Amino acid sequence: MPINFRSWFAPSEAACPVCGRNAVNSSSAIPVRHPTPRRILSSLCASCLRSIPWIVHPLCRICGRMERCEDCVRRKARNYALSRCAVRYDNTMKDWLALYKYRGNEQLESVLAAVLAFAYERLTGTVTTGFQIITAVPIAPERMRDRGFNQAERLARRLAEWYGLDYETLLFRLRHTEKQSLKSRRSRVVDMRGNFAAESSGLFSTSVASTGILLIDDIYTTGSTLDECARVLRESFHMENRPDVYGLLWARS
Amino acid sequence: MKVVLYAVNEGTSYRALFTIAWEADQFYWSNREVHMIRIREIIPLGVAERVCRVLEKRWSGEDLGVKGDTPRRDWADDFRSIVHEVWAAEVRENGLTFEMVKEVGRSLKVQALDRLPQLARMVASLLEGRSLLLEEAVQLLDGLLPAEYPAAMHRAALQLAALTGAMQLTAAVAPNPVAPPLRGLRAWAERLRAACLPGLAASRRGPEVLACRRCGGKDKLRRTHCAACGQACAYCEACLTMGRSRECGLLIVGVPKSSGTPDQQSLPVPLSPFPTLTNLRPTSLADRWGLSPAQSEAAEAALSFILSPHDNTVHTRSRSFLLWAVTGAGKTEMIFPLLEAVLTRGGRALVATPRKDVVLELAPRLAKAFPDYGSSVLYGGSSDRWENRPLTLATTHQLLRFQEAFDLVIIDELDAFPFHNDPMLHYAAEKCQKTSGTTILLSATPPKKMQQAVAKGKLPCARVPARFHRHPLPEPRRLELPLISGLLRKQVLPAKFSISLKHSIGRGAQIFLFVPYVRQVDPFVNLLRDKAADLGISPEIIAGTSSKDGDRSDKVVSFRQKNTQVLVTTTILERGVTIPKSDVYILDANNPLFDEASLVQMAGRAGRSGADPAGFVFYGAPTWTNAQRNSIRQIRRMNSIARRKGYLHANA
Repeated sequence: MPINFRSWFAPSEAACPVCGRNAVNSSSAIPVRHPTPRRILSSLCASCLRSIPWIVHPLCRICGRMERCEDCVRRKARNYALSRCAVRYDNTMKDWLALYKYRGNEQLESVLAAVLAFAYERLTGTVTTGFQIITAVPIAPERMRDRGFNQAERLARRLAEWYGLDYETLLFRLRHTEKQSLKSRRSRVVDMRGNFAAESSGLFSTSVASTGILLIDDIYTTGSTLDECARVLRESFHMENRPDVYGLLWARS
Repeated sequence: MKVVLYAVNEGTSYRALFTIAWEADQFYWSNREVHMIRIREIIPLGVAERVCRVLEKRWSGEDLGVKGDTPRRDWADDFRSIVHEVWAAEVRENGLTFEMVKEVGRSLKVQALDRLPQLARMVASLLEGRSLLLEEAVQLLDGLLPAEYPAAMHRAALQLAALTGAMQLTAAVAPNPVAPPLRGLRAWAERLRAACLPGLAASRRGPEVLACRRCGGKDKLRRTHCAACGQACAYCEACLTMGRSRECGLLIVGVPKSSGTPDQQSLPVPLSPFPTLTNLRPTSLADRWGLSPAQSEAAEAALSFILSPHDNTVHTRSRSFLLWAVTGAGKTEMIFPLLEAVLTRGGRALVATPRKDVVLELAPRLAKAFPDYGSSVLYGGSSDRWENRPLTLATTHQLLRFQEAFDLVIIDELDAFPFHNDPMLHYAAEKCQKTSGTTILLSATPPKKMQQAVAKGKLPCARVPARFHRHPLPEPRRLELPLISGLLRKQVLPAKFSISLKHSIGRGAQIFLFVPYVRQVDPFVNLLRDKAADLGISPEIIAGTSSKDGDRSDKVVSFRQKNTQVLVTTTILERGVTIPKSDVYILDANNPLFDEASLVQMAGRAGRSGADPAGFVFYGAPTWTNAQRNSIRQIRRMNSIARRKGYLHANA
């Protein structure tokens, strides 16, 4: 192999993990404080980093939407305390998630988790009690076998690692539903009933009740998945020490 | 996925096998005098395959005596110990249950399986020459198998077909067997290893390296935890766009197990009598397909290469032939006789090109030329995907889904993006050719390495030095101009440049104006529009396009329809667009983005029709680079060869 002296002095050319082109690192601001996700986001090329539609100022105080949110006004009973999302689910973000979730490009996992870290840091700014337990919305076992991973769980585990939380498997999925995106709002809420159950071992092994539980998922559309999971989680506790469940989602559509 | 792992004692020989459908194996081994041992648990495919490979080596005797341990233990003990060795960690944790299988096939419901052999034969013929992931194979079988066979039988049929040796099931990512070194010290050490060398020389050759069996990629593997096999398992990122190939994923290879030994593989190009070929002369080719003398001579050379008896002693695996045809030589017409020769003999032919738009353009022409043969057109998102037809037209990415399928592989524009410099696509092109097949490479500007191979006589080659209209290629002229950046800053067009532009416009030619960077296209269009009055044209007929332009195809169509007279563009249009009467201006021709090949290609846009064979080509640059010099030299050399051979018109 010929020795390439030039390469010793040239800056290393790292490909952008999303678009694969040679990254021209941008100087634009990265809105995450933790050093690890910062480093991951700074490995993106300038145009990819610019295309992330951060939700910096959520208008809806409950679900963290960018615009005024009729859903949260209409909903009478809510099982989760509040939720925050990292980005708007625009076409670019759709592509990114599809690359990771459906095509299986697991290189993107760290990038998506780093994006989610933004929402986590925002949420800890709002909720002062802090969290100890982090968990994820489960997927059905057959889906898990096909895909090889649960995207929400992977993201949650990364956050747990970075921010010193305990990841616990608290929920499992009882049945496999059709794609959520093909259904109307009404049928989503009805269909969600009875999809999840609490994993008792996880709940009793730790003293969950003292702080809130953080629940991770990839997309928030109507909030029915999040609400159902929160209901199941809360109902597995006694009336007097039911913990608050907070939602943390990667994207808000 | 997870599979069942078992070993069979056939009396004289032992085999270790894994299966995706245990009932198929029971069916296959029932009524035979065999003993079987299996692991009751299902285990990850990658592990199972590794065990099979180690045991195959051991039981074939290759491994005996090397380690110096006792020659042969009980076969079932061998099986157990190798499983423990390969999968030590897991066995320790959970333990595996080994069980002897008594009365093979006792529990089978026979009536459910009686149609299985028939289905397996069908499956094997449908998957012939394919290299598919399990999901793809399932799609194929769902689409093509008659509905009377339930989908539940498909896996069993795949497994039975593999057991009979009609095709192969492997892990999609697995260690490639390391070829023994042919030269050097290691080769000697390898040969002397049996003689118990001391020290380093006695050590085995390097560790087996994981590779993707579909795309051949070794360095873009990523290991992640996988819920399907419960292990950290590797997947290949290089061919991710074609579905995920991973260590515990199944790859179905539609090539019989015995491949590699040439005598067993029946050559699908039988030397059947073919009347028009036996008395083949250039004139007859020219008549049949309307070829010029230059075209027919090269086509004939390629044809005799295809039909020449295969010399299997030559160690080069791929038999390839380069057709080096200048821009505008009429390459497509030249491949027709080659395709015909293979198709009429019942062979399968493939035309591959790097770009989808070329596929779409070529498809109707091929369908018209060969109406009697079915053809499938493959590209990302195409509708016909799975049928095996005699003639296949595909983008080079689609070749990953084939293995040893074609008697004739024609690769067009081999130096174009993305085929050029992509080892994955080169691997795909090589593996889709049958071992007895031939590859024809087409290019106007073959890469340097290939030109050297031709010069050394390692790569047979035929040149087509003249265009079909028998006029010489236009030679580029030099135009000393400042850099584009300077022109844009000062917002001026140099007098020399506008005079030639005016001349081109005056003679009614359409103008290609190449610039190196996408970001220069729009500013330059604006500059030209500002000066349109000076040039004597209306600003509307000046347009610009680039790879980042959403309505590029519309603009190209408008250029083809002569609604646009001046088109500012980048190398994206260096090939494929043919305008009858056109002049070419290459600005900043000294830019390193314009290498020799792309300069020749761009210059080849001029003078394409017989009505206007002498278009003008200008290199506008402040300096004179090797790329410019060499491209002109290459064009001149082709012209002089053409003149010497008498391919040009006498008055040209």
